[in-house]
Amino acid sequence: MQAWIDHLLLGVQAVFQVSEGFSLLGIELPITLLMVFGGFLVGIVVGSTPGLAGPMAMAISLPLLISIFGYHESALLPVFGFLIGIMKGATVGGAVPAILFNTPGTPDAYMTTLDGYPMAQRGQADRALRVAHLSSASGDTFSDIVLIVSAPFLAILVERYLDFPEKTALLILSMTFIAAVIGKSAGKGLVSVGLGLLAAFIGTGEDFMPRLTFGTEALAQGFSVASAVLGVLIVGEVFKSLQDLRTDGVKSTKTLTAKKKPADNRLSRSLIKRLAPYIARSALIGTAIGALPGVGSTLAATLGYTTAKAYSKKNANKKNTAAYTEFGQGAPEGIAATEAANSSVSGANLIPVLSLGIPGNAAAVFLILAADSIGGFNPGPSVFRFSEGSINPELVIAFGLFTIMMLANVLNWIIGGRVMRAMGVMVRIPKHYLLPIILLLTLTAIYIQETRLVAVWITIGFGFLGYFMRRIEMSPLPFVIAFILGGRLEETARQAFSSTGGDPWFLLSSNTSSVLMAAAFIIILVSVRWRR
Amino acid sequence: MITLLRTLIIAASMMALTVTHAAGWQPPGPIKLMIAFAAGGGADTQARLIAEDLEASTGWKFIPENVTGKGGVNLLNAMKGMPNDGTVIGIVVTESLAYNRLAAKGAGLELSDFTPLTTTAGFQMGVVATTESGLNSFDDVITAAKDGKDIRFGAMSPRLADVAYLLGKANDIEFNIVMLKGGKAVMNALNAGDVDIGWGAGIQTKAVLAGDMINLVSGLDKPLDASPDAPLIADLGVAHNAGGYFMFVAPGGMADDARNALAEHISSVAANPDSKAGGLISKAFGGASIIMGDDLDALLVSDSESSDELMKLSAE
Repeated sequence: MQAWIDHLLLGVQAVFQVSEGFSLLGIELPITLLMVFGGFLVGIVVGSTPGLAGPMAMAISLPLLISIFGYHESALLPVFGFLIGIMKGATVGGAVPAILFNTPGTPDAYMTTLDGYPMAQRGQADRALRVAHLSSASGDTFSDIVLIVSAPFLAILVERYLDFPEKTALLILSMTFIAAVIGKSAGKGLVSVGLGLLAAFIGTGEDFMPRLTFGTEALAQGFSVASAVLGVLIVGEVFKSLQDLRTDGVKSTKTLTAKKKPADNRLSRSLIKRLAPYIARSALIGTAIGALPGVGSTLAATLGYTTAKAYSKKNANKKNTAAYTEFGQGAPEGIAATEAANSSVSGANLIPVLSLGIPGNAAAVFLILAADSIGGFNPGPSVFRFSEGSINPELVIAFGLFTIMMLANVLNWIIGGRVMRAMGVMVRIPKHYLLPIILLLTLTAIYIQETRLVAVWITIGFGFLGYFMRRIEMSPLPFVIAFILGGRLEETARQAFSSTGGDPWFLLSSNTSSVLMAAAFIIILVSVRWRR
Repeated sequence: MITLLRTLIIAASMMALTVTHAAGWQPPGPIKLMIAFAAGGGADTQARLIAEDLEASTGWKFIPENVTGKGGVNLLNAMKGMPNDGTVIGIVVTESLAYNRLAAKGAGLELSDFTPLTTTAGFQMGVVATTESGLNSFDDVITAAKDGKDIRFGAMSPRLADVAYLLGKANDIEFNIVMLKGGKAVMNALNAGDVDIGWGAGIQTKAVLAGDMINLVSGLDKPLDASPDAPLIADLGVAHNAGGYFMFVAPGGMADDARNALAEHISSVAANPDSKAGGLISKAFGGASIIMGDDLDALLVSDSESSDELMKLSAE
């Protein structure tokens, strides 16, 4: 126990460490803290801007951050700080355009428009934003606490009970699950996973000759993760949006004419009391969903909203309260239920990342990418292992990461609401200016990180892939996650094969791995039938 | 500002010190430093610290870049044909230029395509088990295997897998040889019980001294520093040792003055335990081990011949 506390203290200390030569107005400040702050502000701005999303900002800033902080372990916490700041800021910020302008900044904020916009139309925009902030910050904090408590235990369990064949089966199950639950069709999800694996297998492998390269030098090193991921996720999205702009024309954004504000917009104690059960229920739903890889915050928001609606109807019949506003007519409960649910996904989403090294959503992808490119921190069970009397630097980083998350929450509670309410202007930035800037920033960021021009072409190539995937409504996220896990899948499969003495049925060699494989098949079968 | 001044002063004084034995050769521009290891690991840190120390002592400018994969062959492929004026150097292991170069048949890499500069540190290569595993000697391993237990042997390169195979064969047992990525992964797999024994190239030394791990066999042609009693691999019937070195390399045909100056500078930093890089090398790799010039050329030729033989033996 003492050893855990030592690691925890070291982790907290690492975050607050003052780095030499960095001062503001003569006061030396811990760089990680500043990065969390900066990231959080950027996140709120990005989240409040329709057409921008947290993962996009994380993707663009990652190469820039790495070029600033370098490839040393000391770079890990400042970079994580900024990225987590963005992640959290964007989560709160997403509610702003949903409430003020009826345009969800992120898909998971769609349900927020249902009650947020009617409230704004009634002149209660400020109150709606306060409700959104309260619920979002509560959900987020709750989810982080669950992460911090459960990730180490889960990691140790995995480590103790999973051998190479089971690890292989678990990876297959995760990918299958992601393919089945993201997007509209399990078939398309599987194709997306297959394409991701194919791309991951180019130029890699254990043999000394690079495979699948057609003898070209450019492919021999394989595709870099940054080119593939940024290409499919960001450039693809930009291409698709540009086309949408072309077909739909440039729309002028309607602004809500300012209504007279009621004198007091603060949340009364009785309102908070009324909202509390909605927030709590949604936070639980969001956290549970977030812990499963691949099930995004949109589903959490939908589930949170619909259960809250059902509950409120039942409650209204029972109590016959006069203060009851129907969901969809501007009920603060609707906002609370949605925002608490979609915000509580983000912390829990890191549970599979830290305990298994498996990313569940785009934001987690970029945290893994950061750890991969900087080095010195390999998310997975080994993070939580140490022998008595020695310090595991990875565990220190993990505790630093937790500290960063809690710090970002504190920031969120203190200033999040105020910053968020000042963000109404962002929606007026026209998309046709925004998109070229994003494209330019992404390609520049790629070039900075890779320092070879062919990486830019590869990124654009993946951008077209991402564009076509979006055109046929195939989610690019399974592609990205399969691409990231592809190398690990091959490695563990080879290890499982050789460690079982060359047993071709290694995936069925133990009960655990057989169960995991069966689960993978059942998930596909069920999701195909269920969707029909 | 003060730190900058301090660095400049240190740099200037160090330059005055080192220029004397460097025969005055200067690189014509910034030096690209290719690193065959993943960012953040011990080997990568070693390379970056050497560059940092050299920047301070010589005023040269280094641009580090990780070119990983295929046991250094990706780096060698990329380096082949690059300018040999001292503006491109790389860090690999001796195995990259011997076994791995030969194993990558289609790549057409020859020793003459490269100019070896200097080694920095040698491997304390041993066959390692955890104390918990109950395998206290190599005899225990043989007994367990003959009793029908599957022995999983973690290896981080094809050459080490070959040597592990021969070690089993010479003792009439068969290992399930599991390939793992890098020495750290072998240690993790040992600790997690995923493999029973595995190669350690020096990373195990701390755990061995702490009593958490045991060197069962010395993979070198001499006893290991931390476990002088562990039997040599030659005594267990394998004529090929598993040792190796970290080494710096440059594109082929480099002029002697450039080669010597680079080798001198790198090795003096590596061998100085008070420098950042030297400190790391003595802490993580048990001290510097410098081979350069004709000795290094000869070592690579003999390693290549022995690798060729090793490949033939393990293919039988």
